[in-house]
Amino acid sequence: MALLTVKNLKKNYDGSPVIRGIDFSINKGTCVALLGPNGAGKTTTLRMLSGLIRSNGGSISFEGLDDQTDIRYHIGYLPQHPVFHSWMSGKEFLVYVARLANLDKKTAAARADELLARVGIADAKNKRIGKYSGGMKQRLGIAQAMIHQPKLLMLDEPVSALDPIGRREVLNLMEELKQETTLLFSTHILNDAEEVSDELLMMHNGEIVESGPMEMVRQKHRVDKIDVAFQKDFVPDESLLTALPSVMRIESNRGIHHIFVTDTTQARDELLQLVQSEHWPLERFEVGRASLEDLFMKVVKS
Amino acid sequence: MMQFLTVFKREMLESGRNFKWIWVPLVFILLGLSDPLSTYYLPQIIESVGGLPEGASFDIPTPPPHDVLMMSLAQFSQLGVLVISLMSMGLIASERKSGVAELVLVKPVKYSTYVSAKWTATSVLVLVSLFAGLLASWYYVNLLFGDISFLHLLATWFFYGLWLLFVISISVFMNSLFKVPGLVGFMTIVLVILTSIVTTVLNHILDWSPAKLSPYIRMMLSEGNISGDLWATALITIGISIALLAAAIYTFRTKEMA
Repeated sequence: MALLTVKNLKKNYDGSPVIRGIDFSINKGTCVALLGPNGAGKTTTLRMLSGLIRSNGGSISFEGLDDQTDIRYHIGYLPQHPVFHSWMSGKEFLVYVARLANLDKKTAAARADELLARVGIADAKNKRIGKYSGGMKQRLGIAQAMIHQPKLLMLDEPVSALDPIGRREVLNLMEELKQETTLLFSTHILNDAEEVSDELLMMHNGEIVESGPMEMVRQKHRVDKIDVAFQKDFVPDESLLTALPSVMRIESNRGIHHIFVTDTTQARDELLQLVQSEHWPLERFEVGRASLEDLFMKVVKS
Repeated sequence: MMQFLTVFKREMLESGRNFKWIWVPLVFILLGLSDPLSTYYLPQIIESVGGLPEGASFDIPTPPPHDVLMMSLAQFSQLGVLVISLMSMGLIASERKSGVAELVLVKPVKYSTYVSAKWTATSVLVLVSLFAGLLASWYYVNLLFGDISFLHLLATWFFYGLWLLFVISISVFMNSLFKVPGLVGFMTIVLVILTSIVTTVLNHILDWSPAKLSPYIRMMLSEGNISGDLWATALITIGISIALLAAAIYTFRTKEMA
């Protein structure tokens, strides 16, 4: 069941289109990655969904809500660069936004404490936000977005600005959050999208160029190729490889040989046989799985 | 209502933490003190800086008490208005500029609530400061020049307070138009000065312009009763302030916030 349906959504800035009429829907309980290079229109899309900016056409409809209801009750939003009142403490800020979301005093304080513990900054809850590190601010940002238990949680580039440790922590947190709410997050990092999300929306130049469940998208863009790598310094005799009936061509790059084939099942047998008979020191053997990066490059370049 | 109080309380907390609740009343108290004291001690001041030349006689008449209180009001009109513009220029503009507004306005809070709560918080601070300043002036006027009744002081506070609320409303409106605090402050001051100039130039037509509050307060203090003109001017000022506030809220709604 679709929680959110977007139809023909458009946005212009100074007359030139930034979002060119996109359609998509988000199912309840899924985790959707909005993937695209910088400037694709990811942030603009999220900001329109959150009600911060107005669209120049199209519709956004939320399951079970009429036009009268304030959509903001049901969404949580973390901007790309969240800014807080730096003179407030983490807890004060959370209680403040909880009260803005119409939670009563007791619930607000309880929710704030619960979330501070959840995102792992309970120790710093009485410290001024001005003294928080980038990772702590990001986690406080996620906490403020979750404060009123929104049906849809939108995170704009939640991990892009973090160091590897902070990134790992926030990704784990997102892994947890997607158990309890629908999650939409934007990123330009393919690995993050691949790791956390079930579904993919790929944007380029204000259009959605590819979408669907992660596996399906992968399947669709599957390239028939086999990647092989050998022990260091070993150079296989390429003429033997090209001599195989199913092999079309070979591209070698940094010790990895991408062997493009007509039929993967047949090619696998032939290749393994060859490797065995020639006693080649095989280290890696991977069949036909185009990474998202290949897809990303293909989509963006076309 | 709850959201209104939430924004209002947060605003109060901020004014407390960045010491606005100390320095703004202090500025008004100093402005209120300066005229009664300097007027009273003028002969001694002249004496101590060298005095008048030999043989010159210079009689300084003691002004009536209400004139001295009006001198203090004149101080509030200049430096006081400047202080108000400076302290309120970032009221909303700086939140939008920094991006805090993004976090606040994705919560289901009405723009009208957000704007009016901020207006109210600023008004409370300014009215309390004005009262402290007037009280300081009134105390020394009574001590050094002669009686002004407390009731007249309260009336002065009420009517002059309306002028300052008008200034705050202009500032809030400018906050809705511009994102840069400096520009907001500048435009507020320009508009206040413009109101005064236009009122002076078109004196014969604009009987009830907000800038006329001061002259009518002077009349009230010297004659002892509140004129119909003062009431009418007060009503007009309240009306314009509400209109400015409504315009600010409308601008916020139609504009893209963050």
